[in-house]
Amino acid sequence: MTEFAEGLATALQPSNLAALLGGSVLGVFAGAVPGLSSTVGLALVLPVTFALEPTPALLMMISIYMAAEYGGSITAIAIGVPGSSPALATTFDGYAMTRRGEAGRAFGISLFASMSGGILGTLLLVAALGPLSRAAIAFGPPEYFGLGVFGLAIVANLVGSDPLKGIISALLGLLAFIVGLDVLTGAPRLTLGTTVLMDGLGLVPMLIGFFAIAEALNGVAGRRATVEGTVGMRGALPAFRDLFGLWRPVLRGSAIGGIIGAIPGAGATIASIVAWNEERRTSRTPERFGSGEPAGIAAPEAANNACVGAAMIPLLALGIPGSASAAVLLGGLTVQGVAPGPLLMTEQASLVYALYAGFIVAVAFMLAVGRLGIPLWVRVVSLRPRILMPLVVGVSLIGAFVLRGNLADAWFALFFGLLGFLMLRRGYPLAPAVLGLILGPMVETNYRRALALSSGSHTVFVESPIALVLLLLAVASFAAPALRGRLQSERAAR
Amino acid sequence: MIVARAWLRWFAVSAVLIVGGCGTSTGEAPFPNRAIEIVSWATPGGPSDLLARAIAEAAPDYFEGQRVSVMTRQGGAGAAGMQYLRSRAGDPHVLGVFTASGTVNMATGRIPFAPGDFTPILRIQVDPFLVAVREDSPFRTIGDLIGAARERPGEVSMSGFGAASAHFLGFQRLRAAAGDPDIRWIAYEGSGDAVVAALGGHTDAAHTNYNIVREHLRAGTMRVLAVALPLTALRDTPTYLDEGYDLAPVHWRGVVGPPGLSPEVRADLRERLLATIRTAGFQEYMARAAMEYAVMEGSDAFGAWIAEEVDTSRALLGRLGLLMNE
Repeated sequence: MTEFAEGLATALQPSNLAALLGGSVLGVFAGAVPGLSSTVGLALVLPVTFALEPTPALLMMISIYMAAEYGGSITAIAIGVPGSSPALATTFDGYAMTRRGEAGRAFGISLFASMSGGILGTLLLVAALGPLSRAAIAFGPPEYFGLGVFGLAIVANLVGSDPLKGIISALLGLLAFIVGLDVLTGAPRLTLGTTVLMDGLGLVPMLIGFFAIAEALNGVAGRRATVEGTVGMRGALPAFRDLFGLWRPVLRGSAIGGIIGAIPGAGATIASIVAWNEERRTSRTPERFGSGEPAGIAAPEAANNACVGAAMIPLLALGIPGSASAAVLLGGLTVQGVAPGPLLMTEQASLVYALYAGFIVAVAFMLAVGRLGIPLWVRVVSLRPRILMPLVVGVSLIGAFVLRGNLADAWFALFFGLLGFLMLRRGYPLAPAVLGLILGPMVETNYRRALALSSGSHTVFVESPIALVLLLLAVASFAAPALRGRLQSERAAR
Repeated sequence: MIVARAWLRWFAVSAVLIVGGCGTSTGEAPFPNRAIEIVSWATPGGPSDLLARAIAEAAPDYFEGQRVSVMTRQGGAGAAGMQYLRSRAGDPHVLGVFTASGTVNMATGRIPFAPGDFTPILRIQVDPFLVAVREDSPFRTIGDLIGAARERPGEVSMSGFGAASAHFLGFQRLRAAAGDPDIRWIAYEGSGDAVVAALGGHTDAAHTNYNIVREHLRAGTMRVLAVALPLTALRDTPTYLDEGYDLAPVHWRGVVGPPGLSPEVRADLRERLLATIRTAGFQEYMARAAMEYAVMEGSDAFGAWIAEEVDTSRALLGRLGLLMNE
């Protein structure tokens, strides 16, 4: 406890507080701008941190990471465009609430859930650094395959009214992921002989294309749903009772984020979609999900912020970055002469405790920046779509360019925009395609890796208890909506 | 109609902003007369990117105080950044960090570039490959591992970064020197992931670099069987040569310029960069990143090294049947 108090004292020093505050503001911004994400935010400040002492440098980076996971939900709720990929699940119910005229309430729920998830993820990090890091490396190719298939099975709950169209959308996503160099052989696939397609089409261009450009085109075509009713500034915020009523989804979301976030390479996007799906699955009113259910915002937002603390577990304990953002963080630490690994806790305990305390302070700043910002976000919602959407598209395209400094990404975003527009007009849901693009690589490479290690024997997938459980869950999750529908129709027939 | 026009306007504005960032002007003033750009086509925060940033940090003093910035241009397995560098022929204000990965990508035919597309300036560091195992592994020496692969062909697995990558070819060189035992290469997206696989017991060994396993060696959770080149930090670890394999595959990184730089400009850039990498700040970065200095005698030697690496890689890829149709 004294170590934690000392850590808190370190985090509260003026220079460290300034770093945490600066990081929070930058993080919310990076998260909210489509195209920018926590990874880009971290990469952009990396040169700045070189000039700082190790502690403020580290604190600035973690506060960016934390705040960006919340920031993504702002655009998700305001305009239905995920500010970064972990906010994808937040668009389902968040944007629906906005359209219902409850934007303030949705922002409040997201902020509360992000805060709770951030704190719970940090507590998990403090309490279970050692054991969880050992558990995380038990995840081998068969287990990753199981997790990926489980994630893909969620498609069954995202398909909307026409399952066939949902599955076609997911297959389009899987087709898109194949483009690029094959990780296992290095061979180019579907690259049409150009280097432009060699690193794939990319998730960020797809998110921008599908959610910003396609929606904007839809607006031009006069099909965009308009925000109903006027949105109040303060009165629209959720009541405390409203928030406390959400403790179950927040806890479940945080737990899911904490576990999935600690597995290297799994990530916040998968965690938040799984959290949303679990909430829907266990709900007594699953049909309300996707049309503005508060729990549908709380669970994924708690999950993606819980992932931040959890992603630090493999990083601090093993020196292995669990996410793209953690990889940039590791680069920053290396430059500062801080070497995460099994000995960090014994050799640099004061820094680690400052980091723990820094996470809590970062969450507090995130809350402050988020709370002060809500009236501003609400004002954005009340802008007329024909002013707002072109603005979003412009900013998004620049964001897509900044990510890799590659103009091709802006073209990919336009391509996905046209594709998404056509899909929307024909009634194809877009989320399954995004899920396919995210999970396809995890499923394919780990399937092949597992078979390479087992000399081609498929029994590895059932011999591993974790993989077996995940695969059974996948079957259950995929079959559940169909079974439920059948039961209902039978009951109706009776 | 108004909406459509607003749209067009926004596209125009974004396009101007995007393209405007790349605009240039070539003055007549002596070099350097404006900011220096270091093009980085590697992952942000990764070793090549950090090298670029360490150079940018220390360089301004030796470039008449001009700003030196790192410009990220990822995509196409490095092709996007290389394309940009090649397009700036004759302009010494644009430099790039070139690595073993670049030569391997050239050798496979994956990217349409050749060593002659750039002006080699200075090789800065090498990062020798090594083979590491989990602390409780039955293998005590690299000989044990190779012996096991001979006894049980295809059952010993080695995780490493990428396929037909610099790491993969480093491993293949070692395997060839050991008489081609059947060891299964399990490719991962990153070197860190490959080490986790060995640490989690999913693969038998990892083919990686010192800085990735350093903390695990210090904590005793992993052991290095052999390293390609002697490292101060691995004084007691046998090298490949000690184990009877006369080869030293390394990952290396250096600075190249655009094509068409005169020998004078090239020598001038080399001197400025040499001064840069001798600063205390840069030396500190090298020590922290656990990299070895590997400066070569003159830029021509570096050029010959790049050409040789491409040839060696191409021969090896040909033998393995991994050359792409050109």
